[in-house]
Amino acid sequence: MTSLSVSHLTVNFGSRTVISDLSIELRQGEIASLLGPSGCGKTTLLRAIAGLIQPASGAIRFGSQLVGVSSVVLPPHKRGTGYVPQQGALFPHLTVAKNIAFGLDKNTYTKSEIADITHEMIGLIGMKGMEDRLPSQLSGGQQTRVALARALAIKPKLILLDEPFSALDAVLRDELRTEVVGLLRELGSTAILVTHDREEALVSSDRVILMRDGKVAQNGTPEEVYEAPISPEIAASTGDVLILPAQQSGSGATFYPLSLEGAASVGSETGYVVIRPEEIRVSTSADMGVEGSLIHIDYYGHDAMLTVSVAQSSTPIKARVAGPADFTVGQKVFLQHLGPVRYFSRQ
Amino acid sequence: MGVLILISQPLIYLIIRASEKSGTDVIALLTRQKTLEVLGLTLALLCIVVAVNVFLGTAIAAGLHYVRIPYPRALFVSTILPLAIPSYVFTYTWIALIPSLQGLWAAAFILVLSTMPYMLLAVSISFARIDSGLIEVARSLGLSKFAVFTRVILPQVRRSISAGALLSGLYVLSDFGAVSLLNVETLTVSIQNLFKSSYDRSAASVIGLLLFLAAAIFVSLESVLKGRDFESKSAEGFQERIRRVNNLPLSILTTAVLALYSLLAVVLPFYVLISRYLQNPSAVAISDLATAALSTISVAAMGAFIAFVLSLPLAFLATQGASAFTSVTEKVTLMAHALPGVVVGLALVSFGSRLGPLYQSIFLLAFAYAVLFLAKSVASTSAALSLVSPQLKEVAATLGKSKSRVTMQVVFPIALPNLALGVLLVFLTAMKELPATLMLRPTGMDTLATEIWSYAAISRFNEAAPYALLLVLIAAIPTFILTIPRTVQKETEKKVSNL
Amino acid sequence: MKKLLIGVGVIAGALVIGGAAWVGMGSNKATDEVKELTIYSGRSEEFIAPFFAEWEQESGIKLNIRYGDSAELAAQILEEGKNSPADLFLSQDAGSLGAVSAAGLFTKFPDSAANKIENKYIAGDRTWVGVTGRARVFAYRPGAVTTLPQSVADLTKPAYKDKVGIAPSNASFQAFVTALINEKGEKFAEQWLTGIKSNGAKIFLKNSAIVEAIDKGEIDLGLVNHYYTWEVSEALGRKIKVENGFFLPGDIGNLVNVSGIGALATSQKNDAAIDLINYLTSETTQIAFVEDTHEYSLISGVKSPEALPDLKSIGSPQVDLGALENVQRTQDLLIRVGLL
Repeated sequence: MTSLSVSHLTVNFGSRTVISDLSIELRQGEIASLLGPSGCGKTTLLRAIAGLIQPASGAIRFGSQLVGVSSVVLPPHKRGTGYVPQQGALFPHLTVAKNIAFGLDKNTYTKSEIADITHEMIGLIGMKGMEDRLPSQLSGGQQTRVALARALAIKPKLILLDEPFSALDAVLRDELRTEVVGLLRELGSTAILVTHDREEALVSSDRVILMRDGKVAQNGTPEEVYEAPISPEIAASTGDVLILPAQQSGSGATFYPLSLEGAASVGSETGYVVIRPEEIRVSTSADMGVEGSLIHIDYYGHDAMLTVSVAQSSTPIKARVAGPADFTVGQKVFLQHLGPVRYFSRQ
Repeated sequence: MGVLILISQPLIYLIIRASEKSGTDVIALLTRQKTLEVLGLTLALLCIVVAVNVFLGTAIAAGLHYVRIPYPRALFVSTILPLAIPSYVFTYTWIALIPSLQGLWAAAFILVLSTMPYMLLAVSISFARIDSGLIEVARSLGLSKFAVFTRVILPQVRRSISAGALLSGLYVLSDFGAVSLLNVETLTVSIQNLFKSSYDRSAASVIGLLLFLAAAIFVSLESVLKGRDFESKSAEGFQERIRRVNNLPLSILTTAVLALYSLLAVVLPFYVLISRYLQNPSAVAISDLATAALSTISVAAMGAFIAFVLSLPLAFLATQGASAFTSVTEKVTLMAHALPGVVVGLALVSFGSRLGPLYQSIFLLAFAYAVLFLAKSVASTSAALSLVSPQLKEVAATLGKSKSRVTMQVVFPIALPNLALGVLLVFLTAMKELPATLMLRPTGMDTLATEIWSYAAISRFNEAAPYALLLVLIAAIPTFILTIPRTVQKETEKKVSNL
Repeated sequence: MKKLLIGVGVIAGALVIGGAAWVGMGSNKATDEVKELTIYSGRSEEFIAPFFAEWEQESGIKLNIRYGDSAELAAQILEEGKNSPADLFLSQDAGSLGAVSAAGLFTKFPDSAANKIENKYIAGDRTWVGVTGRARVFAYRPGAVTTLPQSVADLTKPAYKDKVGIAPSNASFQAFVTALINEKGEKFAEQWLTGIKSNGAKIFLKNSAIVEAIDKGEIDLGLVNHYYTWEVSEALGRKIKVENGFFLPGDIGNLVNVSGIGALATSQKNDAAIDLINYLTSETTQIAFVEDTHEYSLISGVKSPEALPDLKSIGSPQVDLGALENVQRTQDLLIRVGLL
């Protein structure tokens, strides 16, 4: 496994720029998530790293080795990236064992070595006894595992996973993700995971790279990007947010609907405050916070999202409370913001 | 590029020969009344056959698929089986039944009977691929069954209808057997006449170019007809979910039409051939039959193989996105399909006689087949290759496989069943080919087609019958394979789409 | 997968070897002793093969015979030019021989060859020799035609309106028109062709189709070669109501055309080729031809086919068959009047 450096990468599709002047660094053994909406260039970046598309400018290095510039230095088959595309793409005509052994070059490995590695990989993904099955005889989760094993078998410098879990149902997805990430950590893999699932990005990686319009919008640890988003928009892409109009006074005090100082007066707002719903404490006793009326409850089982209308805000306030919630719609409640005050001035 | 030069030999030949005539001669030849009559007759025949195929063929294919009929599978096979019968044999048998058969309408009748399977195959396959979910959605949105057919199903099979129209139209343009026997002078017959009765290769070449031009116009019209290219979602496990319309009068009508078609296009020709054969079963020695059959099979197989190899680069280009070059290549290949065998034969005589021992070898004949039927091969090869998802190729590349190894280890194995079908189609067509075979076969080699010709030329139909019967029976095998539900193909597709 | 590839490989290999065998067979290098002779035969295998087989026996030389349509074979030889693998070309008609001869692809053969054949039926430049004769006749249905035509010129008269069948694309008809042009001038030929066309002559692609049409009563008479009445009758397996009629002796309509043979100039095996020509023009072979094919022998004294008058009494017009090679002009004329 190796470190990865992408610097000033630009990729064009015809006249359209898909990735522009993008730079990222990954330490050896680091797992990064690429998170962003559809069409932001996540998959394109991954494919550029794998050598499947040719960048217009910029450089890609594996460790100290330059593998890609505008004129491709190394073709994909010489890069040694373990690429797991969307939905696995297993070779339909090959068995599980042959799929896994596909990338093992007969000139590099002896027959028995190939058998050993295949055997080891099958063990690693917990699919002993299914060596001779064809992909069509596997479940979705099993197919993803085989695709991962196939990528790992070549001892890649870098693992590239393109939404590998997207086709799976929620429970299986969580399980398999935990399993795969555990496996990658165990092997010390440097990996990039493309996802549009914000929880998946936060839970499985050391670093979350948020992409917008072919650029890196924010790059940091999961905590950093969640707790300290650089914009309201970015905040929204890593989790539920509440964006409320606010005014910051010269003295540094921030006025917003839930502040103790009271809301800013109408027309004098200079920016926004970004609040996570779980940072709001909801109580029924009158002595705490801003008064509001509970207008809606979304019950999720492990928690619940309350929608509260308050006089200070034209937008209703959403607050997450641990379930089972003993609230009823129409009830009078009091809201208190306990988290950091993230103020963003209006541009 | 090299392939393109090789396959355009006949065209180059036509241009060289035609340029031997002076400009005024060419204009005089093209504008004389006879040429215009022949052109008119050819176009009339083309329009009639294509129109009947488009309407009747689509209706029959729809009936096969969507109406409850007894033994649908057997009926389907029997409607495709006429592919096995060469048009000259087909026409001989019909003339044996109705000796007065001749003229434009007779030719249209015979050609509709013999080209219908192209239409049915093309349309049936795409009917089979329509997602029945779409039909259910449309029904739930309040469309009647008929409206579902016209608004949901037809637009999706439009491309196939136009592909079938193209194939049957090019068949009409290039056919010689049926029209010459029925006394209809189309462009092909005219070319043959000019070659035969005056040795005027230049005049024949001018008419040959006219035919090529007609094919060009027809091919470009087809591009308009097929409409916009959209990807249709393909179905999984369609057959279980298809609900056939259960309406008694409609079922009876459909069954009757299918049975009538099979009777006219399969049963009657077979009946004539068998009864002719039985009139004098010992007229032809079994060993002669066997030798001819063996030569036919081996040279047709070689031709199919060469066509396949030649079609690969073109098909690869075609699947790598449609550049102007590939679309031109594809069109030229298609148009070349309309050139009659005698033109291809003479072009290869002119070019091949310089090749020393290769000339009049089985190789050159096989190569001629490849040139004649390359369009079929390119079409089916590129279709087969396009079924292999690009993602699989990319994964293979990241797993350390160079392009050529990706092709060998991933693309071919997955595309194999469909590639084989393409080879089979060329094999089938090559077995039936006559004019180029006559000119290019090794001296002394007889194929089934040349034996049929040599007996029929001296009106010895009883002796021609066993050869014709054997040819039809052998050709029926690949034809039958073509009609087998594409389990292999569907499985592959299913697997790919499931991944 | 591997098995399949091996299978494909084996089949391809087998085909290559099989093909190579054919290549080997096809080539015939000139050697001191001639072992093989390649002949392009426009005459059907059915009729000529036994004679070829007999000659093979006698001479010990193997014949590679390529059967085909005379005109197509001529076109093929013209395309092949000096690369032609053929040693001999046996044609159904003089026209095809003329075309090859005009291109200078035939060799002249010595006076000693084919010396029994009447000179009338040998090309003026001795590049080819006639083998059998085929008389142009009008086939007719007895009873349907009240007055038989005395000359081809009669056929343009109202009496025969819509009753005549011709096959303008057929080589034997074209040979006749060529003779018409050569003997009576292009103007006369053009008038005659225009006349017969406007007289409602029905166009056929084959002579046999004309005879069949007469039998069926679609037309009353047609310009064909004499032997088609037997051929059609044999094919149909019954007697037909068609007979052969001749115009007055000397009329151009009674043209006797020939099937003939020429040796290619590129061939290195002229002695063997001439031996075969001599065999085909020997009296015994000629007698057998007449019996088998109902064609005329070109040797005087050999009996004529069936009940037909003998070659001399037909009064075939004095036409230089060698000049019938000019089919190009005939073709142009036929195109001009709209019959092609």
